[in-house]
Amino acid sequence: MLKYLSQIYHIVLRELLIIRRNHIYGFVLLVFPLLVIFFFTTMLGDGLPVDMPVGVVDLDNTSTTRSLEKRLDAFQMSHVVAHYPSFSEARKAIQRNEIYGFLYIPKGTTDALLSNRQPKISYYYSNTTLAAGSMVMKDMKTISTLGSAAVGMATMQARGLTDSQIQTLLSPIRVDLHQIANPWSSYNVYLTTMMVPGIIMLFIFLISAYSIGTELKFGTSKEWLAQADNNMLVALVGKFLPQTLIFLALIYGYQFYVFYVLHFPHLGSPWMLVMLGLMQVLASQGFGIFVFGLLPSLRMSMSICSLWAVLSISMAGSAFPVMGMDAPLQSLSWLFPLRHYWMIYQICVFNGFPLIDAWFHFAGLAAFLLMPWLVIKKIKNAMLTYVYIP
Amino acid sequence: MYIFHKAYEYLQDICFIWRKEMMQLIKDEGVIIFFIVVPLAYPMLYSWIYNNEQVHEVPVVVVDMSHSSLSRQFVRMCDASPDVRIAYFAQDLDEAKSLVSRQIVKGIYYLPPDFDTNLFRMQQSVVSVYCDMSLMLTYKAIFQTAQMVSMEMGTELKIRMSGLPTAREEAITTKPLDVADVPMYNPSAGYGSGVLPAVLVLILQQTLVLGIGLSAGTARDENRFRHLIPINAPHYSRTIPIVLGKFLCYFMIYAVMGTWLLIVVPRIFNFPHVATWQSLLTVMLPYVIACIFFGIIVSCLVKYRENVMLVMVFVSIPLLFLTGVSWPQSNIPSYWQGVSWLFPSTFGARAFIRLNSMGATPADVATEFRILWIQAGAYLIVACLVYRFQFFLAKRDLKKYGG
Repeated sequence: MLKYLSQIYHIVLRELLIIRRNHIYGFVLLVFPLLVIFFFTTMLGDGLPVDMPVGVVDLDNTSTTRSLEKRLDAFQMSHVVAHYPSFSEARKAIQRNEIYGFLYIPKGTTDALLSNRQPKISYYYSNTTLAAGSMVMKDMKTISTLGSAAVGMATMQARGLTDSQIQTLLSPIRVDLHQIANPWSSYNVYLTTMMVPGIIMLFIFLISAYSIGTELKFGTSKEWLAQADNNMLVALVGKFLPQTLIFLALIYGYQFYVFYVLHFPHLGSPWMLVMLGLMQVLASQGFGIFVFGLLPSLRMSMSICSLWAVLSISMAGSAFPVMGMDAPLQSLSWLFPLRHYWMIYQICVFNGFPLIDAWFHFAGLAAFLLMPWLVIKKIKNAMLTYVYIP
Repeated sequence: MYIFHKAYEYLQDICFIWRKEMMQLIKDEGVIIFFIVVPLAYPMLYSWIYNNEQVHEVPVVVVDMSHSSLSRQFVRMCDASPDVRIAYFAQDLDEAKSLVSRQIVKGIYYLPPDFDTNLFRMQQSVVSVYCDMSLMLTYKAIFQTAQMVSMEMGTELKIRMSGLPTAREEAITTKPLDVADVPMYNPSAGYGSGVLPAVLVLILQQTLVLGIGLSAGTARDENRFRHLIPINAPHYSRTIPIVLGKFLCYFMIYAVMGTWLLIVVPRIFNFPHVATWQSLLTVMLPYVIACIFFGIIVSCLVKYRENVMLVMVFVSIPLLFLTGVSWPQSNIPSYWQGVSWLFPSTFGARAFIRLNSMGATPADVATEFRILWIQAGAYLIVACLVYRFQFFLAKRDLKKYGG
């Protein structure tokens, strides 16, 4: 036992030297992940897009329509940047990327409104940026409904109805919305918590394959195994222990920053975060080692790891839900560690439900963690006999 | 005559390097993966992932405390809508919550006991909607369906309550101002149609940079001093022919792959494709050129062939955000806007989406078009300078260690 520990200790020291000598480790283990955390938390820092440029085509140009426009401008999401003389001018402005949508008020709207002839106004918005389209739509819809309500209210007041009766007549059924755990529907809370762990997983995949593969490339693989007395388990534990600790520190740092400094909602207990971070690192390392064992070539294993990691951002199903995908893809999503990670995060951390409800995904991550068992012999064989071909 | 002779020599060098580079690529399976396999396979995979575009029939649980014909009508109308499916009826909120916890449903509709009595008393009724916010698309489906149904039922109720003599009068009282909601360009708000065009443009840049980086890495691995340029080899004596020869080789491949990615894929999988191929060609030509020179510069910066993967792969996801397709461009912080100017993909994706999804003319994307040409020119100059520096390094090492 003591012998193993001392072997592991020496391999750890050797690995620390490698990490210090090859600068790319410093970048991948520290600089790039910090950059990514900084990128997403600042990029989505507003939570929701605010003051998005919209336009107005007001062919009526009366005080009634102008007050409608002013109220639209006062909304948090929309900012009226321009008035256009015609519909086609406004459409061109959207195509030139100047505005995301516009309100169209035809001539005679106020006249028709005052004489009870039910005029029609329209709002147009671009759906090529889905977030912008739906937000701008929401504002313009609210403003048009309010405009409609204001007129109705005046007539009903004149007929002597009470305020609560008027409210009932305007909208008999009200929807009382509870957005659980993310009441601001903040995109920062929604996207950062998947993108950042996803990219850190990408780094773990790549660096795991890279650090084994470079032993072959630089011809040091035999020396590595010799230090472990050709015991593959000792060799792997020694090699990956420093990386595991660095990544754990990184992930706990990220979690602390996001959940305790930026105060992202997390209904689950802090211990769940600790457990999830640990499983995330170990499962990703398991996957990286497994891929290398499957294709013991530095180049191929790294290509597979990067392609898999990039795909997993989509297959995690946080942007486009897995239940909306075709049936075969729903099962294939199990092959992506990020999917399991995100499900556990979503069930146990974000919504704070018990771990038993995510047991399947926990088992999934555990399976990834154990996957190197399947290929450990193959890696050993590769380390001892293969020659690196550039 | 001297000039012609010189030009001929240059041309010969360029063609030699073009051919040599091509031969090397074909032998290198790592490069083949990124130049051929990924651009062919990824668009198909992504099209498959997003081919349903929207989520329909999101499962919801109903807690109906009212047990009235009105509450049952509400539930029926929600169930009949395309986006929501009433999967379960629960006795109380706790039971409903446990269904959400087990991922069986994504939201709860709670109809309180006074749902119908309130209305008969001329008071507002309330429907409580509880949404699992981990998925924006299901949240939207659940909330918007409840809102739509409550408005539709509301209109019916208003007419009954107002007691006006004519139907027209009723319509006007309940809605004095009619409103039309017109989504443009991607009218069904499909997720794939929104995101995929930018992804395609990004795949082009990223595979190109990765492929160039890998092949440069191979050249370094085979070189004695780990340089990019073989020393004292024929045809490798000048900077410009080397850069142009390599450029022609990559351009030849990406003329084909680019056409596949930007013109064929949207047509096969029916993503928005309103632009003519002529206008796409005009705008995407500088994009591909800029990407190639950008890739050549990146390839000079990495020391080992695999390092380019460690550097370039993760960048793809931030780059997708910088194009402004998932987070509106107007809300990207200015310093990240500045960073985004370094990458051709930012302008390539914006121009491509506006041409191909929104039907803009090349004149509408003139800004992007100009910036892409400026990038192409600037990256060409930098690429030449970087190779010039490689010559300097090679000569220095040659002097140091001897031929």
